[in-house]
Amino acid sequence: MNRFINWRGHGFLALPARWYLGWVFAVASIHKIADPAAFAMDVATYDILPLQLINVMAICLPWIELVAGIALITGVKSRAAAWLTTGMMIMFMVALVLALHKGLDMSCGCFASASMEEGDEISWKTVLRDSGWLLLSVYVLIFDKAPLGMRTAVSLLRHRKRKTP
Amino acid sequence: MERSLDSSIGKSLIEAVIIALAAAALAIAVNVLRPAGLPFVAKEEYETMVPCPEPGGKVTPADAAILREEGVFVVDAREQRDFDAWHAAGAVRLTFDYLDPVPEADLQKMAGDIARAKAQKVVVYGDGGTPDTGDLLGREISARGIRNVFFVKGGAAAIRTDGAKEVTP
Repeated sequence: MNRFINWRGHGFLALPARWYLGWVFAVASIHKIADPAAFAMDVATYDILPLQLINVMAICLPWIELVAGIALITGVKSRAAAWLTTGMMIMFMVALVLALHKGLDMSCGCFASASMEEGDEISWKTVLRDSGWLLLSVYVLIFDKAPLGMRTAVSLLRHRKRKTP
Repeated sequence: MERSLDSSIGKSLIEAVIIALAAAALAIAVNVLRPAGLPFVAKEEYETMVPCPEPGGKVTPADAAILREEGVFVVDAREQRDFDAWHAAGAVRLTFDYLDPVPEADLQKMAGDIARAKAQKVVVYGDGGTPDTGDLLGREISARGIRNVFFVKGGAAAIRTDGAKEVTP
């Protein structure tokens, strides 16, 4: 088990996983940041949160998605970002399962406002898709120990400068 | 090694909380500054428009030609006077009314009749409207545990045009 956890290849495998996950979260945040009122409507449609929390969620969540996405792409605090994406994926999946359980016939609202989005009705396929992203998040969280990215590049540059007389 | 992994993951969890709080603070600041910012607490309930789940069980649309098949139990969902004027041969009437729910006893009796007939398929036809009473009654029957329920697209008129079933005056 230790050998598997410490395998050096994880750093390289986690890189495309991080970039992909980062891209997904960054892209998903854009329409929500651009139109928080529409996103608030999407949140309300899931019929889970009390009225007092809907707008706060609609205002804050997209920015957390964006920051986590950028962190994953750049490799700065990527493990912390993986915590955030893991938490968000669990939250989204709970919301989806509850909506499916209630029999709500609605669009996901994941990458465009539900009112604009057609052909992306929530289903168990959506839950399966989110499960894939959740697994990727957990993989990055556990195995991306020495992330390749800006942070590594900066420390390498500093190391070189120190060595250069 | 596992202990160092645990502490590293634990440390990153604290960082995650700090990042989330910082992102939330940024979000709140942007929301305050933007002209179309949202109030932090909604003043009125959101009027969400989510279609209600379709009532009843599964029903499959079919062409009038399905009545030519063997082992078909035919149900007419129209009014008594329409049934008296014309109905497909062997059809049993159980009127579906948009405003008045079909009595549960009648539905249970119909489900029992279908089960006793050992029919392979149950075909319901109605007025062919939108929504079609045949479709709606089919859902009600299907919800009572009857499988292979179909409704004829276009209703009684489609059957008469197709000539699929001998007409009973």
